[in-house]
Amino acid sequence: MSTENVIEVKNLTMEYSTRKGNVSAVDNVSFSIKRGQALGLVGESGCGKTSIAKSLLKLLPDNAMIQQGQIVLNGKDMVPLPEEEMRKHRWSEISMVFQAAMNAFNPVYTVGDQIIEAIETHLPDVSEKDARVKIENLFRMVGLAPEMVDRYPHEYSGGMRQRAVIAMALSCDPDIIIADEPTTALDVIVQDSILKEITTLQDRLNMSMVYISHDVAVIAEVSDRVGVMYAGRMVELADTEEIFIRPIHPYTYALMQSFPSVTGPKRELVALPGEPPDLLHPPKGCRFHPRCPNRIEKCDQEQPEWKDYGDNHFCACWNPMEIN
Amino acid sequence: MWSYIGKRIVQMFITLLLFQIATYILIDLQPGDVTDLLIGNPDITAAERARIAADLGLDGPLPSRIWTYLTNFYTGNLGVSMQQYPRPVSEILMTRLPRTFTLFMAATILSFWLGYIAGKFLAWKRGGAWEYASTITGVTLFTIFTPLLAYILLWLFARQLDSWISDTFGIDFDLPISKFNTPSLWRRAPYDTNTVFSWMNWNFFAIVMIILIALIVSNYIPRRYRPALRIGSVVLSIGGSLIWWAFISGVGLYAWDIVKHLFLPILTLTLISFGGNMLLTRTSMLETLREDYIETARAKGLPEGVIRNRHAARNAVLPVWTALVFSLSNTISGGIITETVFSWPGIGATLVQSVSVSDFAVAMGALTLIGIMTLIGHLIVDIGYVFLDPRIRIH
Repeated sequence: MSTENVIEVKNLTMEYSTRKGNVSAVDNVSFSIKRGQALGLVGESGCGKTSIAKSLLKLLPDNAMIQQGQIVLNGKDMVPLPEEEMRKHRWSEISMVFQAAMNAFNPVYTVGDQIIEAIETHLPDVSEKDARVKIENLFRMVGLAPEMVDRYPHEYSGGMRQRAVIAMALSCDPDIIIADEPTTALDVIVQDSILKEITTLQDRLNMSMVYISHDVAVIAEVSDRVGVMYAGRMVELADTEEIFIRPIHPYTYALMQSFPSVTGPKRELVALPGEPPDLLHPPKGCRFHPRCPNRIEKCDQEQPEWKDYGDNHFCACWNPMEIN
Repeated sequence: MWSYIGKRIVQMFITLLLFQIATYILIDLQPGDVTDLLIGNPDITAAERARIAADLGLDGPLPSRIWTYLTNFYTGNLGVSMQQYPRPVSEILMTRLPRTFTLFMAATILSFWLGYIAGKFLAWKRGGAWEYASTITGVTLFTIFTPLLAYILLWLFARQLDSWISDTFGIDFDLPISKFNTPSLWRRAPYDTNTVFSWMNWNFFAIVMIILIALIVSNYIPRRYRPALRIGSVVLSIGGSLIWWAFISGVGLYAWDIVKHLFLPILTLTLISFGGNMLLTRTSMLETLREDYIETARAKGLPEGVIRNRHAARNAVLPVWTALVFSLSNTISGGIITETVFSWPGIGATLVQSVSVSDFAVAMGALTLIGIMTLIGHLIVDIGYVFLDPRIRIH
């Protein structure tokens, strides 16, 4: 693993403007990913995971705006780039495996045609024949029969479609792939084999990844580093082992408590009471304070600082869990 | 695929049979028959009229008359016209069919294509004055009373525009307001109008076939040559035809006369279905733009034009193509009115004329022909859908 940062996100803030006011979906989030590293983003639904993913590709709806921050991809800030420029960086440098793989393919074209058009757009020097060979190799890599290239999406099963989506994401040799809940719609067995496939491929191609899931178990399996999101903010960021052994933020701790451990001792699952806040009117200070068992006076007044706890472990909390 | 088409043709035949029986009963339910025209003639007594009716086979029970009609029909005998006695109905219909068919095809293709293009761009660039203007135009054209539209167009083109052109450029453009040709011009013509018109139709058919074959072939050649073949086939077939008519055929002047006569009827019919096609394409395209695969296409960094045409519009066209079935019947009823307004001697005008003089055999024949045309239209739409949507392809 080299030390070069493929992507660096600094103080990213993204808002949706709605009729009722601005919704801050991503608030002051920073992280960076090195070549070959996988970052997992975990959090409840609506905490801004997908918003981050879409911001990274700048695939935002018309009512969304990146208010501040930088997204430095291979040394170049993407935020000020106009759409036409941005288009050239998509897929060739940063690609995505979508949440809804079922509908990620256009039903009227063969899967092969839809991958070829991406290669044609970004790698115009590759001939049609070479592109086809490349796609067949990708299909073998993700565990699909090469004949499937000429099939239509409706002839694929859900798991096969997810594999094809992964092959498509790899087609232009991107430096980083964002996988947004890539296995949520699949059954556990297919889910597991696809996760294994992705991690193998990632190692083999030395690619960076952003892994987005609400499922702590999935994140634990695939990522080297984990960022915990809550209500649009990142509350904790650390290496995977570290965060599971030594969660600092009360929310991270609660999240770990609410999932069963397969290998560890049997324990009672603890559900976190309350609901994530309405992002139209987020709570003052720490956004987690209304649900926080460790709340102190300061929490509803001031936003906690992003503090370094050593060993590359960062957390934003006024009253962290006991560190032992 | 072929068994599917075979099955559909059998279905069509059954539908046609039912259609003919229903039409026969409906016409029979109308009061009076052709002998009623003789009622004012003092020389013909009631007994004489009854005898004529019996001679014409009008007195039998309904089922037996239907049976007679159908057996005659399927042995190629469509009866004779009472009004143009004893001209066979099949001969009348065959002279008039190409005229209606041309009108119908040209208007359907034009309105579908224009509606598709307009709807596509409206959905792509939303908002602004264009959206309001086009929506209002679309709804107006969709709901307007067809004869009113025809008269507005007559006034606008044949009167206002014509006099403006002759005032400004000094050219006598002379856009005709009705009929099929200008008799004074054709008096010196080497061929009659129907011959020249049939050449024009064959030419039109050839153009459509060339473009269609080029489109199909283009899917099997390397990508980079595809646009050249597609655009080339369109430009060459249309350009070549124009050159042939203008310089080689020697009847270009006469063909131009027919084209001038075709202009207003085609425009009217096109506009009637254009509004609906445009609005439907727009709605369908707006829905398609929300699909996940559009976001995938964006994420892949494809150029805007590719996303719009290859991904969004290609899928948005599916419901519009389905709706073509409904707009066919619209075009047919509109066609009857349009032909009547412009005295266009086609099937529609024939139908109206024959009904007004109780010319039973002609009316029945015209209605059957319209039924057959509709059924063929449905078949074409169904087959086209198989090509447009791989999900319903039968393996």
